Amino acid sequence: MKNRIKVLRAERNMTQEQLAELAGVTRNTIISMEKDKFCPSLKLGYRIAHVFGVGIDDVFTYEEDKDGPFADDE
Amino acid sequence: MKRLTYLTCSLIVACMVAAMVGWSMAAGNFLVPVIAIPLGIIVVLACRAQVDTVIADEREKRIRSKAALRTLEVVVIGGAIAAIILYSYVVSIPLAPIITGKLFINGDGTQSMTIAEYKPGSVPGPATLVRSTTIKDLGAMNETEAVAYCTYVREGFSENESRGLAGTTIGCSLVAMLAIFGVFYLYYNRKY
Repeated sequence: MKNRIKVLRAERNMTQEQLAELAGVTRNTIISMEKDKFCPSLKLGYRIAHVFGVGIDDVFTYEEDKDGPFADDE
Repeated sequence: MKRLTYLTCSLIVACMVAAMVGWSMAAGNFLVPVIAIPLGIIVVLACRAQVDTVIADEREKRIRSKAALRTLEVVVIGGAIAAIILYSYVVSIPLAPIITGKLFINGDGTQSMTIAEYKPGSVPGPATLVRSTTIKDLGAMNETEAVAYCTYVREGFSENESRGLAGTTIGCSLVAMLAIFGVFYLYYNRKY
């Protein structure tokens, strides 16, 4: 799963801390998501999209994993 | 309250509770842990309620659940191996000490018996002898000699028995842990 959180945040001149506070998560979660290390839940995905005022498709893009569509995100 | 303040408070409360429990165990006052531990939990929960920042989000929860599952896997595998090794000291013949009894007929017609303990898994001989005792007259064995003989045999196996007991304890703990895991798994399986 790819995301444009960093780009959207930069466009809005928003810090990771501010986004974390608005989305109700820790800053570490935002950092992990921006590095594509952590795949958020659908609920958090919608919340982040809502913070940016865009649709969820504008933030997250689904990419099939190399190991298949059902591979665990470890 | 900030997250760091909450963690500091929790650490202080944990130290205080640990000190009180330690003191109560030394003093033999078992009422203190019954009061101190729930009180400590209440104080920590009250501090947690005052935190205005996010303490644990879904990433944190996912990390904890994976860490818990990995811990369970490691503990179960490691514990099972340890339990089997320790319990084998009770059931395994090569790991048990070799105790032999040799009967002798004395010059006056009475029978005496020499009981000897040899190292586990060894060939009985002077080099592997741990200790031995002789009952001079089997027919006239008094209570003291009988008790000494019983103690001798019991002591010979006591180390193996304590290892076996440790193995049984570990095994039972693992079974209990897996049973609790199973109960929670079924509960959450029904819930979600």
